[in-house]
Amino acid sequence: MVGKKTQRIVLSCIAVALSLSPLIAAENPVISMDLLPTVSYQAKDSTWKEFMSADLGVTLASKREGNVRGEVVLRGNSLKAVTSFDDVLHKAYFKARFPSFRLTAGKTRLSWGDGILFNAGDVLYGSNSTSVSLTQAELRSTTNWLASVNYPLGFFSFAEAVVMPSDTHDPTDMLFGTRYYTTVKDIKVELGYATKKPASEVRVHKPYISLQGNLGFDWYLSSSIAIPVAGDIAKKSGESWMISAGILHLVTLPLDRSLTLRLELLTRPFGAWETGPVTDGTAAILLYPELVLSYSPSLSFSLRSIISPMDLSAMSTLGMSWNIFDAFNLIGSLSLFTGDQGDLFAWNSTDPTKPSFSATVGSSWVF
Amino acid sequence: MSEKLQRLLILTILLICIPAILFALSADEIITKMDRLSTFATTFATGSIQTTDRFGTKTSLFKSWSQGEKDSLIEFTSKAEQGQKILRTEGSLYLFYPDAEQLIRMQGAALRQSMLGSDLSYEDMTEEKNTLDNYKASLDGLETFKGRECHVLTLTAKNRSVAYPIQKIWVDTESYLVWKAEYSTQAGRLLKEMEVLETFISGDRVLPGKSMIADKMKKDSSTLMTIDTFEANPKLDKSIFTLENLTW
Repeated sequence: MVGKKTQRIVLSCIAVALSLSPLIAAENPVISMDLLPTVSYQAKDSTWKEFMSADLGVTLASKREGNVRGEVVLRGNSLKAVTSFDDVLHKAYFKARFPSFRLTAGKTRLSWGDGILFNAGDVLYGSNSTSVSLTQAELRSTTNWLASVNYPLGFFSFAEAVVMPSDTHDPTDMLFGTRYYTTVKDIKVELGYATKKPASEVRVHKPYISLQGNLGFDWYLSSSIAIPVAGDIAKKSGESWMISAGILHLVTLPLDRSLTLRLELLTRPFGAWETGPVTDGTAAILLYPELVLSYSPSLSFSLRSIISPMDLSAMSTLGMSWNIFDAFNLIGSLSLFTGDQGDLFAWNSTDPTKPSFSATVGSSWVF
Repeated sequence: MSEKLQRLLILTILLICIPAILFALSADEIITKMDRLSTFATTFATGSIQTTDRFGTKTSLFKSWSQGEKDSLIEFTSKAEQGQKILRTEGSLYLFYPDAEQLIRMQGAALRQSMLGSDLSYEDMTEEKNTLDNYKASLDGLETFKGRECHVLTLTAKNRSVAYPIQKIWVDTESYLVWKAEYSTQAGRLLKEMEVLETFISGDRVLPGKSMIADKMKKDSSTLMTIDTFEANPKLDKSIFTLENLTW
């Protein structure tokens, strides 16, 4: 039986959707639908499960013209419980262009730093967790309510400031951040800082630096540290120090095929360097190798892994994507955890969201 | 034949050949003129990329702006890629993915990635019009293609930063339009072939309206690039080729 709270949320969603119907008629909504039947195996209790993961997204965007534009994106997944309207409201923001600066306000995302999985420069959302699905094209997509001002400082430089509300609704707990983005010779340089007070913790100051360049292959490097205002400042700061780095190279193969190689690394110099089981937040080193073979412009195969060298465990996903028709893809994946009990990626994990093995064949369509 | 007649004959041949030698264009001059006539102070165009394979045709729509030889911006307007943008400036290419609000800077070999599953790479689509910086040109002769007299030239890459080590191009002797191009590996293996199917006139210049790019490595695969609207030398806001506009 559906609870009253869920009913209210569903009715709210419908009301918002109906209120947006003039926008739907005017601006042509974009709907994305991923239907992914999956079979998984949990080694801990030797059980097989089958389930359907359905991702649905509706995007309503204004025209990209004039000095104001906005977008509303509703997203839901059949496997995720909805507890508030915020859970399905992925984005709702406007951008306004003033003569000398740009204002963004609402729920959206700002991408600071570099790295598709590991990005020490992402001081706003944090891109260091390994709780991601390697079957997703977009590995980090967290959004949040924010207001930001972007101030251009030349064609390829800008300064940006952001403020985000806190989880506690206490104004003194809000997040403030700023960054400067520029190019020096042939290297992109990004310097930034954010300060936030996580719930039940002391305020931290998080400066970061992010660089990107090319040495025959594209490379990127980010580093950040979180300095608390109280407690054992030196110890906590040292433990929070993160460095992420990545390289990206494309190798052209015979028959006009190509192999894209990406390797990302996240290291915590004062993390747990002892061999043996590690946790997500303290692992001294994590690796993310990614190989994508473009067999043809419409068919690609990928192998993505997150490797924890300290406990020799890994989560690997072999994927396939075939763009058959306009915006319609057949996708398939095999995911496997290879680690001992207690390891970061344990084969016999007790966490139901981390099955030992899973196989998915489905489709993705945007219309 | 008398000596007098021989001298007269040689003189006549020289009189015919010397102007031809004096006024014949070198390969570099042809390329320079070709680049110049395909470059505008500014342009704005809308068009489509249709990729056809044995399962049918996929269409991506785009708007594009360019400024001089090196600056170009492409914005995709079809649903699957709505809002994705590519900004090309000297030496660098920036991609903007609106879903992730992500700005990615690409350099080097990554520019050769296929764009939107077509037979075109990011590099093809935003090609800088400074051919002689990257290629050494040699003139192979004249050929008639689609009823038009064309210079046939072979371009050999000077460095490894280009997508195709060898190009053979057919350049119209009057309009300097490239009617046909063959793109090959260093070993001479044909990778792609481009052919102009339709043209349009902008001012005194002839430009490609529809071009077919066929991947010679694959059967039944081709990309049709169509320019639907074209505006030469429009007044563009100076902020168009900036990161601020890319992330708008």
